Amino acid sequence: MVETPTLESLQATLAAQQSVFEMHQAMNVEVFYWWCTAIMIMIHAGFLAYEMGASRSKNALAAGIKNILALAVIIPTFYLFGWWIYNAFPNGFIPIEASGALPWAASMGPDVTDMGTGIFWAAFAMFGATTGSILSGAVIERIRVSAFLILTVFLGSVVWILAGAWGWHPDGWLLTELGYHDVGASGVVHAIAGFFTLGVLINLGPRTGKFINGVAQTISPHSLPMTLIGLMMIIFGFFGFLGGCIIFNGGETGWTTIYNNPTNLSAFAFNTLMGFAGGVIGCYIASRDPFWTMSGGLVGIISVAAGLDLYDPELAFIIAVVTGVLAVKVAKIIENLGIDDAVGAVAVHGFTGVWAVILVGVFAGGMPNVGDLPPITFTGQLIGAAVMLALGFIPGYALSWVLKKCNALRVPKEAEELGLDEVEIIAKPYPEANGVPAVSESDVPNKLANL
Amino acid sequence: MGTSISSWENVGAYFTFADNPLALGLFTLGAAAIIVGLIASIAKHENEAFEKIEKK
Repeated sequence: MVETPTLESLQATLAAQQSVFEMHQAMNVEVFYWWCTAIMIMIHAGFLAYEMGASRSKNALAAGIKNILALAVIIPTFYLFGWWIYNAFPNGFIPIEASGALPWAASMGPDVTDMGTGIFWAAFAMFGATTGSILSGAVIERIRVSAFLILTVFLGSVVWILAGAWGWHPDGWLLTELGYHDVGASGVVHAIAGFFTLGVLINLGPRTGKFINGVAQTISPHSLPMTLIGLMMIIFGFFGFLGGCIIFNGGETGWTTIYNNPTNLSAFAFNTLMGFAGGVIGCYIASRDPFWTMSGGLVGIISVAAGLDLYDPELAFIIAVVTGVLAVKVAKIIENLGIDDAVGAVAVHGFTGVWAVILVGVFAGGMPNVGDLPPITFTGQLIGAAVMLALGFIPGYALSWVLKKCNALRVPKEAEELGLDEVEIIAKPYPEANGVPAVSESDVPNKLANL
Repeated sequence: MGTSISSWENVGAYFTFADNPLALGLFTLGAAAIIVGLIASIAKHENEAFEKIEKK
């Protein structure tokens, strides 16, 4: 005999189903950001290949180890104070209560009841590490690793996340006062890192031999193919990065931007790929150069990232083509000013990031924000872009100036001429090519035993 | 020794030393010291490496 369900038993079953559904939804959110974070690691694999390839062979490993260490110091420092800065400074420079983001808080570790903090912290830490990698490529072959790590911690765990608190936090003053829109982090990550890099480059100076009688010389990458592959790996990683820029909500809300307006991954997919294609074409037209053609993919995505949720894909494509052409011109202007940016980071990330924020004001001005937030405006975007430029440049210039005055910024000329691998690193990238046998007789098990 | 829970019933933060603010504070200082020490050791290594070139 089948029992007739009572109202109470049906309610209990429904509640149990609801509980299961909510748990799986929370798990899906975690899974999504987990894989975004994993894919973002590919950005760093790409930067690693890109920087090592862009260096001369005498500096290849020094460039690589610098990049690896950047990742290793930004992650713990972002845990120690970066996450707290994001949560504490949406209003400007006066902190609000954010004790839950301090490193000794219960939510900053394994917690059965918190299925959000760790995964968001991880994604944001990878954003921070990306800023460090942007700096890392530009300064290859002459910066001291110790100085670079100080700079990269300041950029990756302080400066960019302060920009994030202002322009990405739901209560960030750029949003609440100006309606600032920068969905894919063109401003808060790329502009900040690019102009921080410019500040550092001014104090660091060019590589020896880069300018002869004021004329810029070509210092060829030792492995252009490795650089091109690295750039394509960064493009792959961008899908994790941009996935980390969308909010996977529970309940009926679905996808939203960080500003809480509805969007979806389809919108992001249209414009990410159209931006990539446009940037490649623009940089190719302007340069005919393989390095810049591939860098154009980055330029294109960054150029549309700020308005990734808003643009018509064809408009995104056109924006990316035009920005690709402009980025190459900007890189030439920077070089003509006597600044040696080994990988074009200031043009690719700094100029493009600022430009992208402004373009949202040009093409999407008048778009509403949710609730009582002011709409997107050209003026708001222009002010936001200026804030990003200044917030990136001033700390980068100031801290590198201090390091320079302490004679702690740049390697000695003799070390630069010999090559940093020879001077600082205990391994050689291509031993046979340098007349050193790959296998040599030794009384000790291996070279590490001599340490 | 760092256990912070005695049962999995109604548990929240369960990581080691979650109920010991002093220990967490010390770990924070330790982690920060490692980063500072790393950068200092790299600076020392660089200085020694550069001095070797000057002597050659």
